[in-house]
Amino acid sequence: MAYKATEQELMAYLYGELEGVEKQVIEKYLQENSEARAELEKLKSLRQLMANVRDKEVIAPPLFLGDGPRVRLLDTPYVRTILSVAASLLLLMLVGRVVGMRMGWSGNELSIGFGAPVERARPNITPPVVALTPGQVQEMINTAVSENNLSLQTNWVATQQKLDASINRNLDLNSAKIDRLVKESSAASQDQIREFVAGMQTENLKVVKGYFQLSSTEQKQYIEGLLVDFSKYLQQQRNDDLQVVQTQLKSLEQNTDLFKQETEQILTSIISTVGSGKPSGTMN
Amino acid sequence: MTETLLDIAMMHSDTLIGQAKAGDQNAQGRVVQLWYKRIYNFGYKFFQDHDMAMEVSQKTFISMCRNLPSLQDNTRFKSWLYKIAVNYCREEARKRKGNRSLSFDVVWNRDADESPRWETSSNRFDSPERQLQQQELSDVLQAALMEVNEEQREVVIMKEYEGLKFREIAEILNISENTAKSRMYYGLDALRKVLEKRNINKETIGYGL
Repeated sequence: MAYKATEQELMAYLYGELEGVEKQVIEKYLQENSEARAELEKLKSLRQLMANVRDKEVIAPPLFLGDGPRVRLLDTPYVRTILSVAASLLLLMLVGRVVGMRMGWSGNELSIGFGAPVERARPNITPPVVALTPGQVQEMINTAVSENNLSLQTNWVATQQKLDASINRNLDLNSAKIDRLVKESSAASQDQIREFVAGMQTENLKVVKGYFQLSSTEQKQYIEGLLVDFSKYLQQQRNDDLQVVQTQLKSLEQNTDLFKQETEQILTSIISTVGSGKPSGTMN
Repeated sequence: MTETLLDIAMMHSDTLIGQAKAGDQNAQGRVVQLWYKRIYNFGYKFFQDHDMAMEVSQKTFISMCRNLPSLQDNTRFKSWLYKIAVNYCREEARKRKGNRSLSFDVVWNRDADESPRWETSSNRFDSPERQLQQQELSDVLQAALMEVNEEQREVVIMKEYEGLKFREIAEILNISENTAKSRMYYGLDALRKVLEKRNINKETIGYGL
């Protein structure tokens, strides 16, 4: 069998921290492997045994968290070191006093000794011979200074030239750039204006056309209406006139009829008077 | 002073830890009360010594109160607290290693029968005899635990007695989970060997239990 539970897996299983597939795998392994099972049993019984270690009862003492841990000055290692050094120095001095040790610092000489100091011949140290006169030194300084000046000047000139050249180059470069930019922008703006104007024109054209169309149709309608109204009015007028004429004709007819009748009456009366032969004067 | 269910709930309460974090001294006191026994017992099992355990607990809780505001995730409080405790345990162990002198008490009383330790034991309602046996057994097993090396002992105590998950142990000790499990395995193995050597098993301790 290929699978063998590692000690880690065994531990996780023993403390119930395995889940799902992992748990199933190890359980199957344990079923098939009696040695591993025995091992696990041993561990379990060990756990049972160790469970007999009891917790101690304890009451939490009050904690004082006043102002940080109070460290006694003498307990700090730093102070201890200093104190020990001081103590050993003191001891040394004491012993030195008792033994008669003597230490001295004279001239450039440290002397440590016991008892009275012994004089020793000091070697004569002659000062080194001065090989250079002040004039020579001055000359040297002068030459050095002039050399320095010369080199500084040449350096300065060179850097000046370099600077000028670089400034000119930069200027050229920049002006060319600016020109290009200006050109670009001006070209762009001309194009834009042209486009804008063209756009405006077409738009205006459209608006005007629309307006004309709209107004012409409106006018047509209006005039048509006007014409219709006018014709109606004319017809009405004619009708009215016709009626007036008719009534007048009628009244004329009636008048003529009346006149006829009157004349007929008159005529008859005349005829009757004339027929009876009586003088007209008798009639009154 | 065993924990009630309420206490256990409070031990893991985010609000309490939040209050303690905000500097509420009452809440801090409550957290200390709740966790003191666990940390003390962790220290005790690590050193098998009351004074050392007290020392470590005190330091742990003082450090806890100081550094609580820097705790990022309240749910990590438990691992965080044990981390502090483990660090102090290691520090104390290092100090003790450097300082090889033995307490006079320990030397004098090593084989003394009238060890006062069991007198302070808890289960006062059990018969005294049973208490004594229980305490002796506990001490014997505890002594066996002390034979296991420090790295493995930490893991065994945290897993077996503090019930931490391997994931949490790994986090506390800054090691991988697999390393934690390995240490546990070898810790138990070592423990078994110690017990076998001392002939301590279920049969030999079976009296009266």
